[in-house]
Amino acid sequence: MVEPLYEVLARSAFVSVSATLVASLIGIPLGTALALARVPGRSLLTAVVNTGMAVPTVVVGLAVAMVLWRSGPLGDLGLIYTVRGMIIAQVLVATPLITGITMAALQLLPPELPDQLRGLGANRRQLVVRMWIEARLPLLAAAMAGFGHAISEVGSSTIVGGNIHGHTQVMTTAIVENVGRGEFGVAIFYGVILLGLAFFVNGLLVSVQRRGLSWQRS
Amino acid sequence: MAAELSLRDVRQVRGGREVLRVDNLAVEPGEHVSVLGPNGAGKTTLLRLLAAVDSPHSGEVTVEGVSTSRGGVALRRQVAYATQRPGLLSTSVLRNVELPLRWRKVPRRHRRELAMVALERLRVADLADRPARGLSGGQQQRVSLARALAIDPAVLLLDEPAAGLDAESRAAFFADLEHALAGRATTVVQVSHRAEEASRMADRVVVLVDGCVRQVGTPELLTRRPADASVAALVGYDNLVDAHVEADGTVLVGRMPTGLTCGGLAGPATVAVFANGVRLLGNDEPGLPVRINRVSPDRGRQAVAVEGVLTLLAHLPIDVPSPRIGDLARVVFDPALSAVLPKAGADSTGVRRTGDDVPRTGEKLRAVGG
Repeated sequence: MVEPLYEVLARSAFVSVSATLVASLIGIPLGTALALARVPGRSLLTAVVNTGMAVPTVVVGLAVAMVLWRSGPLGDLGLIYTVRGMIIAQVLVATPLITGITMAALQLLPPELPDQLRGLGANRRQLVVRMWIEARLPLLAAAMAGFGHAISEVGSSTIVGGNIHGHTQVMTTAIVENVGRGEFGVAIFYGVILLGLAFFVNGLLVSVQRRGLSWQRS
Repeated sequence: MAAELSLRDVRQVRGGREVLRVDNLAVEPGEHVSVLGPNGAGKTTLLRLLAAVDSPHSGEVTVEGVSTSRGGVALRRQVAYATQRPGLLSTSVLRNVELPLRWRKVPRRHRRELAMVALERLRVADLADRPARGLSGGQQQRVSLARALAIDPAVLLLDEPAAGLDAESRAAFFADLEHALAGRATTVVQVSHRAEEASRMADRVVVLVDGCVRQVGTPELLTRRPADASVAALVGYDNLVDAHVEADGTVLVGRMPTGLTCGGLAGPATVAVFANGVRLLGNDEPGLPVRINRVSPDRGRQAVAVEGVLTLLAHLPIDVPSPRIGDLARVVFDPALSAVLPKAGADSTGVRRTGDDVPRTGEKLRAVGG
């Protein structure tokens, strides 16, 4: 049975948006801590994050699958070949990217800013919130980049999700499947839809950034 | 409201290197203290400790008797610290000034009033709705200062508040700063590497060199009796000359008379002379032989560079005939505009203002670090 396109598209969006939200909740605070706090092991953590940004998604998928496999350490949770399992894999794909961009974004702010905010009486929470507001555009870019990375990846989705029709098939795995079957027309159509989604998301980002920049310049 | 500040046995270490050492320094409530020193002297490090942004490696920094290491946010909220670069946020000028008030839970209407009053004091109220990052350097400095003053702090810490401004803008900025602080009991500590800015509003000046307090005193004391050559250079002495003080107190440079005498400081010394204390005499008169090297107009006077046994800068009134380049002349120093200082590392008995009527044999200059 061929699943309607909109269901595959909706599943893709759901998995990637959920993964991006979770990855942002982890990556933005982690990137902030690495950028601002003088914590022991900071250099090591930074190196791990930077390495994580370059890890192939298929390797992430393999690692997650081994953990979630029925005989694996978290096999009892029954997450292998499920949408939730795919979300976990995509969280691991997107988190290093969001963490790294967050770290860079905060480090690019004027270096005197944290001291100035402390010197005016900001507590830790007020300081962090204000730094996030100052870096709002690059932080948005970090989330968008995380989303782009998640929705376009195929390796971990295939391994962890299994590309099961009506359950775990997403746009990228559907493209791979159709190419495998020689259905190039369908694959290209799916590809164009995915491209359109990516274009829409990037357009949204550019629009928000332009609005923010024009206010700052005015 | 004002607060007392103190540093006791404070050591600050960065990268394994001691960058600040203050044995004892106290600032009285309501006092205006300037910290004067060259770049890298530890001025900002000192200010960051007072602002409780950093904790000392050892020793204790207190604000109103409470240690900054233990005071937390409540202590930091008695203090307003304006960093060298204004550090304005990417929002409107008004919101920048309101933000510290919001952190202190001042009701919205009241904080708007306080912010506008602070902006008016610094003459930038008309910029309230403008994006702060789009302002000129001088305007940003004023907004930064207004933001610090809006919270009516017990302690105001200013790190090179006019850094990056041209001479004209600096003068206007300091005039506005004086206006804004007029009538306030706030304790102010201001950092500067310019003697005229450090002295302008200060009750006392603390001279920091290489992380150590070299001298503490009124601006007048520092000018009249600098503790050593580094202090003399910082407070504006134009010429520092190696000299030797004879047993009878005669001060010689290259075995030639300088016109100075000094009691109680026999041996190697440094003579500090303001440029307007260098007297040019005819070549047949007693003094240091020099050749006129350069003459140029300089802000209502003539700047004369001379070379001989030493290189000196002299200032002459604009209305006297200019010496001719290449002419030979003799130089002596005006005792009222000179100081004889102990040579660094020499066994000294202190600083001597030359030409003073009252000899100060054995008198020790009150040095440094409290």
